[in-house]
Amino acid sequence: MRTKLFSALAALTVAAALAGCGSSGTSDESAAEDYPSEELDWTIAFGPGGGNDIMARTMVDILQKQDLYPENIKVENKEGGSGATGWGYLFSNKGEAYNISTTSGSFITTPLQADTGWTHEDFTPVGLFATDDALVLVPGDSPIKNWEDWVEFAKDKGTVTVGGIGTVNVDFILHALLAEAAGYKIDYVPYNEEGQVQTSLLSGALDAMVSNPGSILGQVEAGKMTPLLFTGKEPLPTLPDVPTGESLGFKDLPSLPRGLILPPDAPKYAQEWWIDTMKKVVETDEWKQYLKDNNLIEDVRWGDDFASYLTETADGFEATLKEQGAL
Amino acid sequence: MNVFSDLGQGILAILTVQNLLLLGAGVLLGMVVGVMPGLGPSAGLAILLPLTFGLDPTGAIVMLAAVYYGAMYGGTITSVLINTPGESATVASTFDGYPLAQQGRAGPALVMAAVASFVAGTIGAVLISVAAPVTAAVATTFGPPELFLVVMAGLLTLIVIVQGNRLLGALSAVLGFAIATVGIDIGGGAQRYTFGSSELINGIDFIPVAIGLFGLGEVFHMLWKGGHLERLAYVSVRAKGRSFWPTRHDVRESRGPMLRGSVLGFAVGATPGAGATVASLMSYNLEKSVSRTPEKFGKGAMPGLVGPEAANNAASAGAMVPLLTLGIPGSASTAVLIGGFLMWGLQPGPLLMEQNPEFAWGLIASMYLGNAMLLVVNIFCIPAFASIARVPFRVLGPVVIVLCVLGTFTVNGSIIEVGIMLACGVLGFFMRRIGMSPAALVIALVLGPLAEETLRQTMIVSGGQLDIFWERTTSLVLLILIGCLLLLPVVAPRLSRLVRRRLRSVGEQRADSAEREPDEHKV
Repeated sequence: MRTKLFSALAALTVAAALAGCGSSGTSDESAAEDYPSEELDWTIAFGPGGGNDIMARTMVDILQKQDLYPENIKVENKEGGSGATGWGYLFSNKGEAYNISTTSGSFITTPLQADTGWTHEDFTPVGLFATDDALVLVPGDSPIKNWEDWVEFAKDKGTVTVGGIGTVNVDFILHALLAEAAGYKIDYVPYNEEGQVQTSLLSGALDAMVSNPGSILGQVEAGKMTPLLFTGKEPLPTLPDVPTGESLGFKDLPSLPRGLILPPDAPKYAQEWWIDTMKKVVETDEWKQYLKDNNLIEDVRWGDDFASYLTETADGFEATLKEQGAL
Repeated sequence: MNVFSDLGQGILAILTVQNLLLLGAGVLLGMVVGVMPGLGPSAGLAILLPLTFGLDPTGAIVMLAAVYYGAMYGGTITSVLINTPGESATVASTFDGYPLAQQGRAGPALVMAAVASFVAGTIGAVLISVAAPVTAAVATTFGPPELFLVVMAGLLTLIVIVQGNRLLGALSAVLGFAIATVGIDIGGGAQRYTFGSSELINGIDFIPVAIGLFGLGEVFHMLWKGGHLERLAYVSVRAKGRSFWPTRHDVRESRGPMLRGSVLGFAVGATPGAGATVASLMSYNLEKSVSRTPEKFGKGAMPGLVGPEAANNAASAGAMVPLLTLGIPGSASTAVLIGGFLMWGLQPGPLLMEQNPEFAWGLIASMYLGNAMLLVVNIFCIPAFASIARVPFRVLGPVVIVLCVLGTFTVNGSIIEVGIMLACGVLGFFMRRIGMSPAALVIALVLGPLAEETLRQTMIVSGGQLDIFWERTTSLVLLILIGCLLLLPVVAPRLSRLVRRRLRSVGEQRADSAEREPDEHKV
């Protein structure tokens, strides 16, 4: 018993000494070599069950099942202030290699409307995996069956009533851009909850609404709502007949980034490790299935490409919102 | 009938060992979550949702739904015993529940509340089974104008609660409306009173305010009154005596409120919006209006507890209707559940019940079973909980303070919210001293933003015209109902007097003798 304890202690001492040698002098290099060797702190800036949460948990599931991340991953929902709390926490871990978070639309819009102390530019980009795009819908029992019908109806009526979530949000921007390009006027009704926009449309209070495919596909399948336009770059696999904005002549409709970010000034080796690893993740069947189930359009951009995409999107948002007087 | 075979299949689907265990676990977890001040159904669901990531959809929904209505049962316990609602839906349960506990009737109050919850939950489950399609059809006629009217019906309760001192009551409500303006204005996107803080952009949450005003405020008030000096228990309940059980009188006067609350709750719960909160407030309002002894309300009237309790539980069943039949979440809690649907690989929408019958009907079947389980669990637990009321205040007070802090912190892990809670505790104390109404403040805080939002939406939709309220059928019906609700307290006593006089004169003619006046006043 005693000898065992003694030998264990001895082994520990030797190990500690070795580790000490290793880290002294070239600590950065060895940290880079060892990476990842610690528990990962994964922040979800929203509550459980939302789009961001499901994406993050799917990624963590893949990383663990495929043994891509050798250590434990601690997933934590840090909800509040439309993402300000969660991403603010990541921001405060400047220079850390073991903090990470997933992005969504609020990553761009929240800093536009509140003094968060950070913007998308502060963080170290890993990559963009997909975009969240939207459908424009009218009630299923309406005589409007396609986009042309809608524009004609809207021009006849003069001003149409349209709805979506929030004001400083992509929903409003989409409605505004489409109306401007097609030449009709809108009264935009902002809602806080998806359910209320949907019942408003069904009750006849709204002429049209926008929503992301995941939450509205059930209504479309049941014939309760007719989709007119999809804002993605390619048609939605589940609704191949719905034309994309681009095919109807609308250029540069904004979409929301589903990506991965590290804290500001995260070590270069961490960024590189994550880019390499996520390249493997996006090839897995589970990830493909996730994109399909959630009706996300794949759009892969790594590192600086992702960063410039974010800047482009954010600048576009800001310009449209200022033009519309929402900022 | 189709319903019965579907329901039968649903029952078969949940009668597996795993699902029954999940149901039992959900029920117990829900109770625990509900009993923690601050943790209501929506917070509880959000915390427990990730646990269901690997479960099959039926098992997962059975467990989460059990947490949902279990928390509704549990929430009553803190409302009654320590005057601290864990959710906006149980605010109305404090009005008469806490006075009952102070009178030493915590036992009967909790038993009756559990029975009311059970009856309402079961009625709700029956109504889902048979009336879901109809209810769903009505729910889709609810746009902004209808929601605004429903919220207004809830706000009418303010008139009922502030009757003691109208000026101070109105001041309390205005304070609530003022707090509610904090945060981003959904209409224009501008920030109101956030002082640049990103913590405040979503406004001030109901939970820290309610816990502070009610829980902490009451502790401070008891301290001021010298509650800690009392040698005897400040409320005494004998858990195993006759006084533990409700009297026959309690049962008799609760029957009506229970039924009315259940139906009202189910209907209001099925509309998207403030669901259970508005339902419980409307039920309180209604019971006071039809009561023969409205002066007892707020001083420990059993119908004032039983009605809202039935209403908020039936509302949680009602909220499942749009969720299952339309795929539309009607409340914060059901929005979390819809997130769950997507996580389990189900597509929420009008076809959900058709495409996944064993899922939908399994859920409905589990509600019958879950409610029965909850009643049993409650009856067993109530003696233990009720004995909390026997703990001397000098011991209970500090425990309540710790629970308030912990409960607030657990919800969002925000230390700022704990600060808000503590500040509201002080505010609550002074409000009690001056005679202001914390309940009015909280109701205004919850319903104010909804009223503002829906009115503004209505005005954008109608282009600023008010006729939208009577041009839409559902909205017109609601307007008439609100009118009736307003007139009821004025008309009801006269009507019953008239009827009684009629009866008496008929009686006199028949018997031609001076019978005694029917002694309805005492009932």
